[in-house]
Order: sequence, then C-alpha cells, then structure tokens
Amino acid sequence: MNRYLPLAITALAILALATLFLVIAPGMQISAQGPSQGLKPYTEAEARGRAVYVSMGCLYCHSQQPRSLAQAPDAERGWGRASVAGDYAYDDPHQLGTMRTGPDLMDIGDRLPSQAWQLTHLYQPRAIASWSIMPAYPYLFEHKDKAGPDDVVVKLPAQYAPKSGVIVAKQDALDLVTYLQGMKRQYAPPKDGLRDNGYALIAEKQRDATDATTASN
Amino acid sequence: MTDKKPDPRRPDETFEPFEETRRIPWPVYSIAIALAIWGVIMLVQTSTAVEVADKTQKEVAKEDSTKLAQAAAPDLDAGKTLFADNCATCHGDAGEGVAGAFPPLHGSDVVKLGGAKAVTHIVMRGIGGKLNVNGDGYEGQMPAFGSVLSDTEISEIASYVATGLNDDAKTISAPEVADIRKVAGDKDPFDGGAGLAGLINDLPAQPNSEAADQGADSERVARLVGQGTDTVWACASCHGDKGEGIETVPRLAGLPAPYLAKQLHDFQRGTRFNDSMAYVAKGLSDREIGELANYYASMSSPSGAKPALQGDLKRGAQLAKQGDWSIGVPACFTCHGPSGVGVAPNFPGIAAQQPSYVAHQLAMWAGGSRHNSPLGLMAGIGKALNDSDRRAVADYLASLAPMPAMDKTELAAMESNIPVREGVDQ
Ligand code: HEC
Ligand code: HEC
Ligand code: HEC
Ligand code: HEC
Repeated sequence: MNRYLPLAITALAILALATLFLVIAPGMQISAQGPSQGLKPYTEAEARGRAVYVSMGCLYCHSQQPRSLAQAPDAERGWGRASVAGDYAYDDPHQLGTMRTGPDLMDIGDRLPSQAWQLTHLYQPRAIASWSIMPAYPYLFEHKDKAGPDDVVVKLPAQYAPKSGVIVAKQDALDLVTYLQGMKRQYAPPKDGLRDNGYALIAEKQRDATDATTASN
Repeated sequence: MTDKKPDPRRPDETFEPFEETRRIPWPVYSIAIALAIWGVIMLVQTSTAVEVADKTQKEVAKEDSTKLAQAAAPDLDAGKTLFADNCATCHGDAGEGVAGAFPPLHGSDVVKLGGAKAVTHIVMRGIGGKLNVNGDGYEGQMPAFGSVLSDTEISEIASYVATGLNDDAKTISAPEVADIRKVAGDKDPFDGGAGLAGLINDLPAQPNSEAADQGADSERVARLVGQGTDTVWACASCHGDKGEGIETVPRLAGLPAPYLAKQLHDFQRGTRFNDSMAYVAKGLSDREIGELANYYASMSSPSGAKPALQGDLKRGAQLAKQGDWSIGVPACFTCHGPSGVGVAPNFPGIAAQQPSYVAHQLAMWAGGSRHNSPLGLMAGIGKALNDSDRRAVADYLASLAPMPAMDKTELAAMESNIPVREGVDQ
C-alpha cells in the first residue's frame, strides 16, 4: 500500500460521479417539474391523516406508485395510471414504499371512496375479507354505550360488533380516512411528466391512436 | 542439528511484500471513459426527450386553437363520420331508421320542424318514452351524448342531420351548442314527444307522457342508497350519487333490473366473488334487492367514464362493432345491443361503463374468477382477448354515451321474474 493519494482521489471521484448522476442531476430534473397541474395541497385534516399513515407504518405493506402498463397491469387492476414525479410534489417524505403485501394505495380514494367502508376495514379487515392479513387497528376506535351527536359509528357485521353499545371512530381514524379518500388523481398526467420511457412510449402510441381516430372522424 | 539449511517449503521470513509500480492497463481506462461519455449522452438524451414532449404539447394546443377558430362553420364531412360512429348503429347509415324500433332522421318531421337546434337538444339530453315521428309511434330510449361529445362534435352532427340528411339550410355552430349546454346540459332526457312539444313549435300531435309516480318503498331504498344500515355501507358511497361508478366500481345507472338483481343474488350466494359486494349483498333481503335493482335500472345519469387505460380506440371500436373472427370474438354489440346500451333482461349495457372495471371483469372471466354469465357466454370472449384488446375495448366503451334508463312500464312487466334466477355457468 503505497499509493494512498491516487486511490483516495479515484474513490472520491467515483463517489462524486455517482452523486452527480444519481442524486444531483435527477434532483434538478425533478425540482424543475413542480406539482402536476390539478394536484391540490393537503388540507389540514388530510395532513393529519397522512401523519397517522406514516406513524402506523402502512408503508411497510402498501406502495404508492402504480407502474406503467409496460411493467405491470396496475391500471387494469384499477390502481390508476402510472405516477409521475409531480404527483408527489406535496409529499415530504414521500410514501412510495417498495412492498406490495397489500394493494397499491395511490388511487385508493377513487377505487374505494366510501368512508364507511374504510372505517370498517381499519377496525377489522377480516370483517370484509376473511383471508386478509392486514392488522386491525382497534385503538383508533372507541367503544361507547351510545353514540354522541357528532360521532361516526362504524358499521359492523354481528360477528364483530360489540355485544352492547357501538364502536365510534376517534379523530385519528377519521383523519386517516380523509387522507385515504383524498388519494385520487383525477387529472391527466402532464405530457412531459417525468417517468420511465415505457410510459412515454405508450403515451406516444396512445396519442397516435387518438390522432388517428379524430382524423377519421 | 546445527546446520541451518533453510527449508525450501518455508517462506523467507525476511521477505517484505511490496507492490510493483504498474500502470493501470489501457482497457480499464477506455472502459471508464466510455462509461462516462455514455452517461453524459443518456442525460442529454432524456432532457431533450422532455423538450420534445413539450413541443408536441404546444403543437397540439396550437391545433386546438386553430380548430376553435374554424368552429364558426361546422365541418359537415366530420359530421358525417361522427354520425356513422355514434348514430348509425340505431338510426341506420342514411338515417332511414328501423321500423317500429328506431325513428328515421332522414325526412323526420321532428328534424324538419326543429332543425339543427332541436337535434342538438335531443343529442345532448337523450330521449325516452312515447314519441310520434311522421305519424308512426315509437317507444324507445336514446342515450344522452352530452357527456361524451364535445360542443364542436355535437354541432357537426346536428348540422349534418339537419342539412345533410334533410334539406334544411341552417347549421348550428359550436358556441351556440355551448349556450344550449349551459341551460340544458344536465337536464334529464326528454320525456318522449310530450317533452319535445315545448321545444319545437307546431309539432304534430304527440302521445301523453306517463310521468311514473315514485313507489311506496322509495324511502327505504333512498336510505339504503344514501345512508346504509347499521351493518351495510351506503351504495352511493362507492357507486356514486348518480350510480355512475368510478375506477373498478361499476356504473349501475340504467342497467336492466333483472341483471342487477341476479348479480346481487350471485354475490350473496358466492357464485360471483367480490369481498365488499358479498358483504353488502349478504346484508340485503330479497325484497330490498328487487327494489334496489329497480331503483338503479330507472336511473338516468351522465357518463362518469372516460378512456383511461391508453387503449387503442380504433381497435376497440372494431371489436365492439364488428368483432374479430380471427380470434373468434363476435361483435360485443350483437349481444349488448346497438352502441352497447344493453338488451333487457339478460344483457347489461356496457356503454359508458368504467374502463378499469370492464378490463378487470374481462380479465377475471379469462382467469375464471368471474364465471356467472348465463351459458358461459362471456368466459370464451374474455379468454380470447389479450391485455391490449381488453384495454382497447374498455376505453372505447368508456367513450360512448351512457345507456338510457329503463322505462317504468318495462320494469313493471319484468318485476315478476326478478327474485331468484340461476346464476352459474352450465
Ligand atoms: C401487514 C401488512 C399490512 C399493513 C401494515 C397494512 N396493510 Fe392495508 N392491506 C394489507 C393487505 C394484505 C390488504 C388486502 C386485504 C384487505 O383488503 O384487507 C390490505 C388492504 C388495504 C386496503 C384496501 C385496498 C384495496 O384496494 O382493497 C386499504 C385501504 C388499506 N389496506 C389501508 C391500510 C392502512 C391505512 C394501513 C396503515 C394504518 C395499512 N393498510 C396497513 C396489508 C397491510
Ligand atoms: C341506442 C340507439 C340510438 C342511438 C345510438 C342514437 N339514437 Fe336517436 N333515437 C333513438 C330512439 C330509440 C329514439 C326514439 C326515442 C323515443 O321513442 O322516445 C331516437 C330519437 C331521435 C331523434 C328524434 C326523433 C327523430 O327521428 O327525429 C333524433 C333527432 C335523434 N334520435 C338523433 C340522434 C342522433 C343525431 C344520434 C347520434 C348522435 C342518435 N340519435 C343516436 C335511438 C338512438
Ligand atoms: C365498498 C364499496 C361498495 C359499496 C358500499 C357498494 N358496492 Fe356494489 N360494487 C362495488 C364493487 C367494487 C363492485 C365490482 C365487483 C367486481 O369487481 O366484481 C360492485 C358491483 C356491484 C354490482 C354488479 C354490477 C355489474 O355491473 O355487474 C351491483 C348490482 C352492485 N354492486 C350493487 C350495489 C348496491 C345495490 C349497493 C348498496 C346496497 C352497493 N353495490 C354497495 C363496490 C361497492
Ligand atoms: C354471446 C353474447 C355476448 C357477446 C358477444 C358479448 N357479451 Fe358481454 N355479456 C354477455 C352476458 C350474457 C353478460 C351478463 C353476464 C352475467 O349475467 O353475469 C355479459 C356481461 C358483460 C360485462 C359485465 C357487465 C357488468 O356490468 O358487469 C362486460 C364488461 C362485457 N359483457 C363486455 C363484453 C365485451 C367487451 C364484449 C365484446 C368483446 C362482449 N361483452 C360480448 C353476453 C355477451
């Protein structure tokens, strides 16, 4: 070992190059994007719900990044179009996730818009799907003898309903559901949205196809 | 043992390891340099790709604005092709109609008296109930195109019907259509000839409308739809206030009541699988199922669907209208009715159905997880379509006008056979 300097310089150079191409350049590309047109910032309740989502670790089982059609049939599953960088403009930290133990949740507000469904499901997933391995979150709910005027009562089948009284949702559960209901992107993806090429190619084909039909009209 | 002759197998203990100075071989240098150049090229390429997309977007916007500028004079050739795509399946290629089922547009007294303006109203809102055209009685349902055709497209179709199929001289422009949309866009379909009488002066005698009264059970149904029960979620919370559906939740408005009832029974029995709907259906009585089916069957609402799966619309239109015998698929419209509006009691409307739902159902038939169609009619079709065909046909169907609501009198006639129907493939 007698050439420390060149070794150190080369190592640093490689690190610098990697940082430039994997962190700085994409960072510049993404920051030039800005929020997708039509995307709204979170409301206060949604932001609180998002914090609950983060603290409950929903991320460990649910991704928030539908793939392009070239990669997976996510759109056909009803999980929505492939996401673009601008869709996450208000997410810090983003909840992209990598594990798909459960379905992708990027468009859950479109797919399951029902507050009542979400509350039943959070209280006890197995009330809906007996095979579900999603944990129940009973501590987001309260058992009361009688519901107050502002309480939201959870609809439950006899098997899971308490013997007497009712189950009502705590504020955390309501916020979390508000967040889930707001997870929808009913705007078209920006044409120059930052995405892998599979997406761009398909979008181009699609544009050709619609051009052809409008031309024939 | 004094002789210290070194053992040749042993390493020399005085040996100091050292590195010889050797240059890095040139192939390594060149590979590293080539990689760096490649990286820079890739970076430049992706950023220009973004620029290109930008440019096409600008071009598209420009085309749109030129189109808008021309809109003053509707393009009758475009109107003709739009007519062939949207109207000819029912009214015939030359607007000659089908005796007893679909009234003629060529030489129709409604069109002659009302002109392009009346046609615009009718296309925008749809029409149902009793109607006399040239003295012949009709009692069909025409879809509302307001939610699927643009102002320009409607102006082209209406102008073509008034001046191309008939000899009226007056066309209608897109801004005029936009004005009509503002006042009449979200109104219910015309109630037959009686409804048109207010629109068109001097219309020959029209049959009376039979505004159906709401049934006695409407309150209970409204509760199920709007609030749900202690155990069951409100239907509207997923299917939408107007039964228009969303993503994988299907549109229910205007589907035949016997079909809807059969699906709910199938969910209940487990012959059709969906965890959420099984939960819902198990909480409903047979009587409630019948009432809910009637409720949604008689509902008219605008389309809540638009193409979203990047399917090839041309291929979709081909599958829907002609089928593709090379893969053994008959035209969807042969069973699902002209323009996919459905044929009661067994063939549900598929026009304006949510594209994710349609593609998902077709995939489920192909995979065997939905297998409740009578005689297995849909299983073979699902299997024959590949992924891109499924997306193509689903997107095409999403671009169509929604099926009109079922007539109240038709409903009454069907009521008797609603409750229990066999739902399993043979
Ligand atoms: C151990 C893994 C796991 C964790 C942690 C988890 N889930 Fe799930 N989730 C699942 C599975 C598996 C399903 C599919 C079965 C079902 O519907 O219950 C699912 C389904 C869902 C669905 C329905 C999706 C659909 O399309 O049907 C929602 C909504 C959901 N989870 C939300 C959450 C939220 C919110 C959290 C955090 C509070 C969470 N999940 C935590 C595994 C998990
Ligand atoms: C699904 C079949 C269907 C389609 C598609 C359809 N119509 Fe109709 N149309 C009908 C029926 C049925 C009636 C009669 C309604 C009634 O009896 O109340 C009708 C009535 C009319 C009338 C009034 C009666 C007459 O003959 O003048 C006009 C105008 C009309 N349609 C125009 C159109 C135009 C334009 C299109 C294309 C944008 C179109 N229709 C598409 C079924 C259809
Ligand atoms: C939690 C959301 C949810 C609620 C609440 C709900 N549905 Fe559904 N419904 C669905 C989904 C999702 C499907 C599609 C199932 C599938 O993929 O097979 C469906 C399918 C259906 C179908 C079959 C439609 C077809 O075109 O084949 C009928 C009928 C139906 N629902 C009626 C109802 C009625 C009536 C209610 C209220 C009592 C209701 N649903 C409440 C989510 C819901
Ligand atoms: C041979 C007749 C036939 C043909 C051709 C046909 N279908 Fe069907 N389809 C049916 C029947 C019958 C049902 C009702 C199934 C049931 O009762 O469960 C159905 C149901 C459906 C449904 C489910 C509707 C809903 O609301 O859940 C979809 C989607 C569908 N068909 C799409 C298509 C498409 C796309 C084509 C053309 C590629 C097609 N069908 C061609 C007979 C047919």
